[in-house]
Amino acid sequence: MAGGSVTTGAEGSVLLKWIATLGLLIVVAIPCLFIVVQAIFPEFGSGSFAAPFSLFFKTLSDPALFGMAGNTLLLGVGTVICAAVFAVPLAALRALYRVPGALIWDGLLLIPFMIPPYIAALGWIMTLQPRGYLEQVTGFNMASLLFSVSGIMLIMGLNTFSVVYFVLSRTFETIGARYSDVGRVFGAGQWRSFWRITFPLAMPGLAASLLLVFAMSIEEYGTPAALGRRIGFEVLVTGIENRISEWPIDLPGSATLSLVLVGMALVAFMVQRWLLNRRDYRIVGGKPQASDKRSLGVWAVPATLLFAFVALLATGLPILAILATALSRTISGGLKPSNMGLDNFRELLGAGSDGLIALGNSLMLGTTTALLAGLLGAITAYSVVKGRGRFRIVLDALSITPNSLPGVVVGVGIILAWNQPWLPITPYNTPFILLLAYVCILLPQPVRYATASLHQLGDNLESAARVSGAGPLRAFTRIVFPLILPSMVTAMILVFAVASRELVASLLVAPVGFQTIAVYIWQQFDQGSAGLGMAMAFCAVLITTLIPLALISLLRWLTRGSVAGLS
Amino acid sequence: MFSKSSAVSGAPALSLQGVSMSYGAEKVLHQIDLNLAAGEVLGLLGPSGCGKTTLLRLISGLLLPDAGQIQIAGTTVAAPRAGITLPPEKRGLGMVFQDYALWPHMSVARNVAFPLEMMRVGASECKDRVTRALDRVGLGAMAERRPSDLSGGQQQRVAIARAIVAEPPLVLFDEPLSNLDRELRETMVEEIADLVADLNLSAVYVTHDHAEALTLANHVAVMRGGWVEQLAAPAELVDHPKTAAVAEFLRLGCLLPALHDAENWLIKGTDLSLPAGVFGGAEAQVLLPEKALRLDANGPNKLKTEVLRAQVRSTGQALTLRVVGTNHVIRHLTPAPVRAGDVLELSFSPEDLRWFPVADPHH
Amino acid sequence: MKRLSLALVMGLLASTAAQADVTVYSAGPGALIKNLAAGFTEKTGIKANVFQATTGKVMARLEAESSNPVADVVVSASWGTATDFSAKGLLLPYESPNAETVPDFLKMEGAVAQGVAGLIIAWNTQSGTPKPADWSDLAKPEYKDLVTLPDPAASGGTYTLVEAFLANDMSDVLQGLKDNGAIVAGANKAALNPVLQGAKAAVFAGVDYITMSAAAKGETVEAIFPTSGTVVAPRPIMILKSSQNQDDAKQFVDYVLSEEGQKAVAKVNLMPSRTDIKVDRPLIGDLKLLSNEGAPARDDVLADFKKIFN
Repeated sequence: MAGGSVTTGAEGSVLLKWIATLGLLIVVAIPCLFIVVQAIFPEFGSGSFAAPFSLFFKTLSDPALFGMAGNTLLLGVGTVICAAVFAVPLAALRALYRVPGALIWDGLLLIPFMIPPYIAALGWIMTLQPRGYLEQVTGFNMASLLFSVSGIMLIMGLNTFSVVYFVLSRTFETIGARYSDVGRVFGAGQWRSFWRITFPLAMPGLAASLLLVFAMSIEEYGTPAALGRRIGFEVLVTGIENRISEWPIDLPGSATLSLVLVGMALVAFMVQRWLLNRRDYRIVGGKPQASDKRSLGVWAVPATLLFAFVALLATGLPILAILATALSRTISGGLKPSNMGLDNFRELLGAGSDGLIALGNSLMLGTTTALLAGLLGAITAYSVVKGRGRFRIVLDALSITPNSLPGVVVGVGIILAWNQPWLPITPYNTPFILLLAYVCILLPQPVRYATASLHQLGDNLESAARVSGAGPLRAFTRIVFPLILPSMVTAMILVFAVASRELVASLLVAPVGFQTIAVYIWQQFDQGSAGLGMAMAFCAVLITTLIPLALISLLRWLTRGSVAGLS
Repeated sequence: MFSKSSAVSGAPALSLQGVSMSYGAEKVLHQIDLNLAAGEVLGLLGPSGCGKTTLLRLISGLLLPDAGQIQIAGTTVAAPRAGITLPPEKRGLGMVFQDYALWPHMSVARNVAFPLEMMRVGASECKDRVTRALDRVGLGAMAERRPSDLSGGQQQRVAIARAIVAEPPLVLFDEPLSNLDRELRETMVEEIADLVADLNLSAVYVTHDHAEALTLANHVAVMRGGWVEQLAAPAELVDHPKTAAVAEFLRLGCLLPALHDAENWLIKGTDLSLPAGVFGGAEAQVLLPEKALRLDANGPNKLKTEVLRAQVRSTGQALTLRVVGTNHVIRHLTPAPVRAGDVLELSFSPEDLRWFPVADPHH
Repeated sequence: MKRLSLALVMGLLASTAAQADVTVYSAGPGALIKNLAAGFTEKTGIKANVFQATTGKVMARLEAESSNPVADVVVSASWGTATDFSAKGLLLPYESPNAETVPDFLKMEGAVAQGVAGLIIAWNTQSGTPKPADWSDLAKPEYKDLVTLPDPAASGGTYTLVEAFLANDMSDVLQGLKDNGAIVAGANKAALNPVLQGAKAAVFAGVDYITMSAAAKGETVEAIFPTSGTVVAPRPIMILKSSQNQDDAKQFVDYVLSEEGQKAVAKVNLMPSRTDIKVDRPLIGDLKLLSNEGAPARDDVLADFKKIFN
């Protein structure tokens, strides 16, 4: 049906529209606004609007800014290249051939999502540095690779490539079945059919997921902070963090740098959305058909080895390093049997310990964030898809903005916004402030999943409900929401995994006396108890992997497989 | 929410007055006036893009008109001038969609029960009525299945059960059979016709298949370019198409361009004469209806044709004939054995010809 | 699902700290402030709620909250923060009766040292290198590529030491370190970690109490006080003028400076600020201290340091 300003009689629910608008205003717009104000008015923190722009241009004209911005771009591009190199061959193999143990590799490659990047970086340091675990086991170290710009890119590529792998293998699978076979009928060989048909058709999906990796890597803090500092490689995020965490504090400077970073990330996201809008949802949305995947023949062993090698790099080594440190009584004791024991786990999980409390807090916050972000995300996506005109653009823009906000910026914005003295009631200094921060940071995930899912829903499903007598709200709750729920569950699991271990914003806005998993881990490192911190990290990875798995199995069982797409 | 009983008695099931609609600058419906008596079926027939689906969506409330007035069973549901715009759920309709639009997360019975739930019908009554509706479409045994477990035809039967379960005063069919294969389509047309007659339903049936429309509808509105070209009973439509476009769309026969020279009507570009018609003007389109043509040479008028193709059908041979001396093609079905290349004489009566002006009445 | 989320929300509400009587923002170590808060509550019945992070994070939070301060008491690991807050007029002048035996250089208007950290060489005893005795030893070939030092921009202690080196014309030691392949590695912990695992042999400008605590846990690392002298980093405790609970806050400072509080300070291997608390470790009086008189301003110190290590 043609576009334009058609008056439809079946508008989405006005109530939902207002919930989406209000939710986005509170969660996203207000902290952003305060960041901009802080960048312009340096004295804003103490309630004064004096000397506008006095530090703004000073920060922008700082020659160090160009270095940081250049490094940020370099890191983003390098990470994208590494991620593509890891992901494309694996995704193609996985989609077009019968890879032995394919589901196991899928599961293993999902784990990097669950390992906090700063923990993975520390794991790598402890493995690769001189006298690290690698040297203790094999006698050589790779410190020169680790502490280099390409080393940072490599590690960040390993942390992020699974995003590309999962998107691409699904795309390849669908295209391979539908179109590439047609190419083969017309005489193209398997290899040619891949390069001439499958790969070009997958380009939008590939480009979109690579841009996502780019955006993730330019706002990543842990890895560049842990590795880059040693070699003087400073990026925008570490620059922002330094201005906030090193005396004297420079809030206006960090706010200004944040705006630069937000600008870069927004450009990336605009390009990504442009690509996604051009992409044919029928290609990507279609379910992979039971295609006749080809046998690998003699290549089965090398292909399996490749999967094993990448899984070892991305999942095995970081997990082993975490476990080794968690099981070591002392770091200097090394990997000797006499130095191994469960002491750290015993201390972490002892009755009434801080660790248990932090775990409980984080799980509760993670769950609440997942539910809240899922609900708000679904409502927002629905209002955007249903909406028209300027209203829709504003909602849409607001819902993707947090993608480009580093956690530390969100933290500062939230403090500035919610600790105003004239507020009669405020969530500040309660766990709700963490909830606000997490929902803000993670909202784009459920919005993205819900939008894709809504685009695949036939319009008539909702129309049928309306004609059958359901009002707009009921049509949403009874028909639309249950139908997008399966993909929302996936999004909410992602939100849960990230929210329960978010570090940077948590450190800044955690209410007095409130500990989360990440804050606990960080404090243990800060106090020199790396083993205890790693024990907590291991438990966190375990829990954030197992709880969603259990949840999915439970849902599968409850719905007895009748709800498609729970995967 | 209203049901049959609360409708104004004696009011037409549907009444449209001067309904217009635009998408941006493009006007897709022009001044539509339609009336449908209770218990009758209105067919909306036309090629894709003619505005028939838009018109149906206006009736359902999924779209709102720019101007005009729509009444369902005596209640005004849309009148932009008067500021009346009832949303779909307040119009008390049943609707069957082209893509079935069954909700995949609900069982067949839950799908069918949905309109009753929205009317807050009690659980036991609801169950009875769902069972009755499903029995009526022959799917009583499938109540607990998921829609995805059913075949296309079964899914569409479920959709029909859902549309009739609440006994709405008006049921809308939006090309309900176009996703089914031909054989199934023919069976289903008859099933729907029986159902409509049994339940004494008032219905609007949108289709691009003239056979469906002619089978089901008491009145058929042939639409083109946002206009209603002709609104008539099926027999009237076939016998007296109002415009050349209607005749062409209904595939009633061969349309020949005709020119009036000094005394005779000739087929344009030839010296083949046509019997004089009661038609003023110098140029016309004349319809040679397929059903008026005979292969025996007994008719008062004759036309010499050459057989281009003769295809075997279960009911005889489908002939493609070319009027000798022209490029005009005539289709004809005959039991007689004929072969390509044969020259045949077709006969017809001058009163069977239909004459149309050349200019489009709307442009 | 609605009911579930409601339950979760209620749970979160319940876990929210009850309105604190005293709110303390403290730099590490976490165990110390946790013990102090617990002891204080036990002794006075006043609840103390704690936000613990690095000095930088504490300061960032104070700065962002400055229009509506939440904290009553602040403990920082850097004396400079106290001077700065005092100059801005943010501190409540208070002389605790328990501060009598605190030496004058650990007191100022509005702030007093909670405890004192000393700067040392942290040396891995299993590193296969000779035990260093002084800063300049680390510039010797035996320690080639085996020394880390914290970034003075991220570590107040290292900053103070660099400042003193510049003031005492000892910057050649820093140049020697750089030429010997020493690397600058973030904050204190990031510098110590590679020494623990053995990737490096020693931290130049390590922090004594962190190193001693690691050693107490069984790590093969030793804190060495250099012969040519070192600097100390007093950790100021201060009451904000904006505090709504000034009396309780004063009681907290009193408790920290009490014999019990100072023993808790000593327990994490920090030097107590009171000279009359006896502990089994080198105390301020035992140390040879470098003066930082005549040192350049902060930006110049950092610039000079960057000139050497970049």
